[in-house]
Order: sequence, then C-alpha cells, then structure tokens
Amino acid sequence: MKKVAIVGIGHGKFGVRSDASLRELIFEAVKACLDDAGLSLKEVDSMVTGVAGDEFSFGIQPSAQVHDYIGFHPRANFRVEGACATGSVALRTGWMTIASGLADLVLVAGVEKMTEVPTSMATEIMGRAGDATWEYPFGTTFPGYYAMIANAHMAEHGTTEEQLARVAVKNHYYGSLNPYAQMQKEITLDKAMTSFTVAYPLKLYDCSLITDGAAAILLASEERAKAISKKPVWIAGLGCGTDSMRLGDRKSLTSLQATREAAKTAYKMAGVGPSDIDVATVHDCFTIAEVIAYEDLGFCEKGEGGKLIEAKETYVGGRIPVNVDGGLKSKGHPLGATGVSMAIEISKQLREEAGPRQVKDAEIGLTHNVGGSGQLSLIHIFRRE
Amino acid sequence: MEFKNFSLFINQTKVGRFADELAGGKIMSTLCKKCGKQYYPPQADCPSCMGSDMEWKEIKAEGKLLTFTKIHVPPEHFAVRQPLMPFSSVQFEPCPVGIIEVEKGLPVMGWIPKMDVKKIKVGMRMKASPLTLPDGKITIVLEAI
Ligand SMILES: [Zn+2]
Repeated sequence: MKKVAIVGIGHGKFGVRSDASLRELIFEAVKACLDDAGLSLKEVDSMVTGVAGDEFSFGIQPSAQVHDYIGFHPRANFRVEGACATGSVALRTGWMTIASGLADLVLVAGVEKMTEVPTSMATEIMGRAGDATWEYPFGTTFPGYYAMIANAHMAEHGTTEEQLARVAVKNHYYGSLNPYAQMQKEITLDKAMTSFTVAYPLKLYDCSLITDGAAAILLASEERAKAISKKPVWIAGLGCGTDSMRLGDRKSLTSLQATREAAKTAYKMAGVGPSDIDVATVHDCFTIAEVIAYEDLGFCEKGEGGKLIEAKETYVGGRIPVNVDGGLKSKGHPLGATGVSMAIEISKQLREEAGPRQVKDAEIGLTHNVGGSGQLSLIHIFRRE
Repeated sequence: MEFKNFSLFINQTKVGRFADELAGGKIMSTLCKKCGKQYYPPQADCPSCMGSDMEWKEIKAEGKLLTFTKIHVPPEHFAVRQPLMPFSSVQFEPCPVGIIEVEKGLPVMGWIPKMDVKKIKVGMRMKASPLTLPDGKITIVLEAI
C-alpha cells in the first residue's frame, strides 16, 4: 500500500464567527495550510471538502462554495459527510485518493458555520443525529442521547458527575492555552458542577459548543511528502466502525461498539497497541464521551474511565495525554472541521510545535472522531519518522 | 390515522399501521414469518434473512429500564408552543424519557411523565402504554410497576 503523509496544516480561529461566511472561513484555513506546506494551490491535484449540515450551509453541494471561493476549479472536489465525524471522513477519503494512485497531492478541508441559525434550530438539527422516526418523537436531543449513555455508565460502573466535570476542567485548561480555541478560559470544578442541567445528568459544562470554524490539511504521497516537508506526519493506521441507529438497539449502552471496531482495525494496521500511543485527541462532544473513549480505545479498563481522569492521567505528563488542545469541549466543535482539527493537533504534537501544550517526545498520536450518537466512528493513527 | 401523528416528520412508510394500532391501544412489533426474528420498532423487511414477509404481533410491554434522561433544553418541536407544531400542547414537559427492554431484548422508548428524574433508577421495572394527546397526536408513556 502507498504511504500517505500530512505535509501542511492550517487552522482557522474557532468561535462565534459572525464576521465571516462559510467560504470565508475555509479560505483562512486553506491559506494557512498552503503557507505551512510552502506550496501554491496550483500544485494541488485534488480536493475533498467536509461539511456536515445542509441546514448550516444554506444549500446542497457546499463543496462548490468552497472550491469556487478559493479558486480550485476545474479540478476534482466533492463534499463528504458523516455528521460530527465528517472531518475524519474527509481525511479518510483524501488518504484513499492518494493510496489508490488517483492523485499525489490532496487538500482536505473541513468547515461548518453553525451560529447563523438560531440555537433552538441547531439543537433540533443535531437532535436528528439519532433516529428521526423512532427517537425524535420523544423529544430527544444530542445531549439527551449522551445523557442516557451517562446514566447507564453511572449505574453500571459507579462513574460520578464529579468525574465527568473533571474532564471539562481539564479541557478548559488546555483550551485556555490554545489560541484557536473558542473558550480560552479555565473553569473550576465548582463552576462545572453547579452549571444548569441540559439533559440530566449532563450540565452546561459537560457539553461541547456550537461553533463556526474551518481547518485544512494537505496530504501527499511518499515521494512528494519527502520532497515537500522536513517533518511529514505519516498516516499509519485507519479504522472505521459503525453501530445501530438507535441507542436501544446497541449491545452495550456504556461503550461505543463503532469505536471498538475502528480501534481494532486502526491498531492492527499501524502495528501498535493502546500503550504505544503518546498523545490522543478523542471525541469529547460530551464529557461522558471522553470517559467512554478512554475505555473503548484501551487507555484503561472498561469502567475505569472516571478514575483515569480523577488521577489526572490524561493531562500532559500523565500516562496518556488526551485532548490537550482543549477538545470539542473548549476548542469548539464545528462539525465538518473537527476531525481535520484533531489531525492538525496531532501533527503539531508530532512536529513538536504544540508550545505550552507539547507532550514530550511524542512519536505516535491518535485521533478519534464519532458521528451522531455513535453510529459511526473513525480512528486515525499517525507517526513521525 | 396518519403515521405522522406519531413520528412528527415522516408519513410515508410500509409500517404505517403501527400508528393505527397505537391509537387503538396496542404497541405492535413485526415478526418475520420465514426466520422468526421480531422487530420493535416494527420493520417491513428482515435483514436477518432478507425476507419481507412479516406479520404484526402485539408486544407485552413490560420490562426493565435500560436508561433514561430528562431533557431540559428541548428541540424546536417541543420548545415552541405554536398551534401548528405537533406536540406543542404537550403538558408534561420537560418530562423524563427512558428506554425499557421488553420480551427478548426489544427496546421500547417512552415518556416518563409521573416520576421525579432523581427517583428513576436504571433496572427498575416499568410498563409501556400508548397515550393519545388532546391534539390527537399519539405517543408512548412508561410507568413504574
Ligand atoms: Zn427473517
């Protein structure tokens, strides 16, 4: 199989970006990405655009808004979608484009413009991340699905609301050190614990944000990567798993089978195991999702996720630093951009460019990105040379 | 009875009879005549044997609670009291919801209007029953037994 590396990264500012449209956001990220790679757009063969919601982009084929505005036409570009995992679907598609021999240099761009619609509408759109026919009639929302997962995890493993709040405290701390994060401010455990309930037992600070933002990476074939970059970040393993539409049909309510499946595949392909991972970005759309990710990715035993955060093992300096860019929780979660942003953070870590958030001697990194309430999960494992 | 009276969004389906039966007081599943696999929510097709010859079967809607929540920030349909919005006249909101496991592992979702969320426990025994709302919409409620 052909080897593929990340040779350029570009991250736009995440937040309530009422100053910019979808196409203007992607321009920022693409420009930064090309500058980082030291290339012009003319040299890029092909492109993949990740955008999750038609409702957010005010039209079908949002990829056209993107290639038109950055001037990429007439070359190949299309939109891919996998709800909250859209960015990772774009990365996987970009990898396939090179691994198949179709192209040597592929731009992978992810973007979402979520704050232009009212919050109640955004809540409804996200609520359809479950089964719109059989679950939504019971007023389910995106936090509602993860709240049901949290209650099941608490009942089965004794996980506490305080342990969940500790995930928020950690991710806000690292968000405060990330200039691209939406919420660059630390929070106290007390503040997290006393915030209002969104979906019992999840409180405001257990939930990720509604965010505008874009991120872009440039992928290259082995030969091109070595010529372009002194520090290529190699994609060593890819995994993708799926699960049932409805929570009630899952084998387990305290684990995401899609993640377990994706992890198995990705670890095998990369020839590594959980203990080899130096740094990870996991899908913390809600604090309980990060705790379950620790367990499903094998960073701790099943049911021990709450204890892992309590022992601060997922901080820099701990056994396995997780979401030291602030995570979806504090960096923000622009659906289409999130998976690409995760790959950018791991690239920075492996290139030793993460500044105050740097994990020492990080050689192998992992991204974990979940779609909807767990119907889809994508994992990528990266290595430096 | 339009299926939309239950589903809110979708009206065109091969299992529209589910809504009629629910209005008549029965929670129905489908059963594959070829391989015997039972489906709730009901399906017109059986991915187990790829057959489509199904029969309707009422479920005995009692079992243990798998999980629950209470959604305080509801989606638009449930948040805005507008006459044209289905369920906008629901009186018991915000109201806990849960999923019980009935018969051999079928998950039934429903509202839990009569319980304080802090008193709801995973594993408690509950039963599910259809409920017709004042505006003619139909849904399912769970109560402890
Ligand atoms: Zn069958």
